[in-house]
Amino acid sequence: MTTVALPPFWSLVERHGDELLAHARRLAGDQHAEDVVQDALLRALRAYPRLRHADHLRAWLYRVTTTTAIDLHRRRRRELPSDDVPAAATHDTYDEGAFEALIAPLPDGARAALRLRFVDDLDYEGIADRLGITSAAARQRVSTAVRTLRERAAA
Amino acid sequence: MTPLPDSLLESVAAAAVREGLADALFTRLRTPIGRLLLVQGERGVVRVGFEEEPEDRVLAEVAAALGPRIVGSDRELAGVRDALDAYFAGEGDPHDLPVDLSLVAAPFRRAVLETLHDEIARGQVETYGGLASRAGNPRAYRAAATACARNPIPILVPCHRVLPGSGGLGSYGGGPERKRALLELEGFLSR
Repeated sequence: MTTVALPPFWSLVERHGDELLAHARRLAGDQHAEDVVQDALLRALRAYPRLRHADHLRAWLYRVTTTTAIDLHRRRRRELPSDDVPAAATHDTYDEGAFEALIAPLPDGARAALRLRFVDDLDYEGIADRLGITSAAARQRVSTAVRTLRERAAA
Repeated sequence: MTPLPDSLLESVAAAAVREGLADALFTRLRTPIGRLLLVQGERGVVRVGFEEEPEDRVLAEVAAALGPRIVGSDRELAGVRDALDAYFAGEGDPHDLPVDLSLVAAPFRRAVLETLHDEIARGQVETYGGLASRAGNPRAYRAAATACARNPIPILVPCHRVLPGSGGLGSYGGGPERKRALLELEGFLSR
């Protein structure tokens, strides 16, 4: 049973569903975006009662959507289905290996920006601080990296 | 931005139900007395909200009692929707729908509402005093009135069928016009 007052799950879905779908489109392309969101919402629902606080729920949903997109992407590209399904992704135990594998081909700077954005959940100002760049540059770096991943996924 | 397609939301809801992930389900139903928010937990309908009640607040109330995994679905609640549609079309009493009074903390108030649900059928009415007697305390008509005023499951727990002993229709949580409309629908009052 939950110990914090979490809002009704569907209120989050109705409030943020459209932007999560747009986010999934950027990550996975039009063709797979709905599958990503559907799976992401189920993962989020499974993990929801275990959340330790009710802060940053929107960012948390973005993160679950991101890791779901990564997992589905890997599953589609994988040749051997034997070790198929990665450990269930939750808010704090999602498969970091999957994330690292997906971002591996990117340059160092792009990888660092993506980790700060999606693993550490920083906003662009926070990313800028950590990387010693402007917040506009941080935003640019994340969006370029996400676009590159999307193009690779579509290839 | 485009909202999520209904088909996607219904797929999520169906999978959630299949996996036992939903603490409660809800649906919105258009009726002659306005839009109703219907919320069902594992044991039955736990809350019916009139359209003036802020949905977020109603759902948060349910979340506090049953858990935060609240999922919206018309399809998973098709049975409840059909029963209420039939009721508003003048056919029968949605009485067979199980209700869950866990939002009512006070034991006597809960007993009052259980009695009301079990004993006062469509076409019948009772007074607040009579209802208090049925629930085991003839002098507690004020408590019976309070129980009705705060009834979390109006219509299914038919507080519209409880009238003041002194005559008239008395008050109603959803407003006196709705009380009159429901009694007319049930044939107790002529239109």
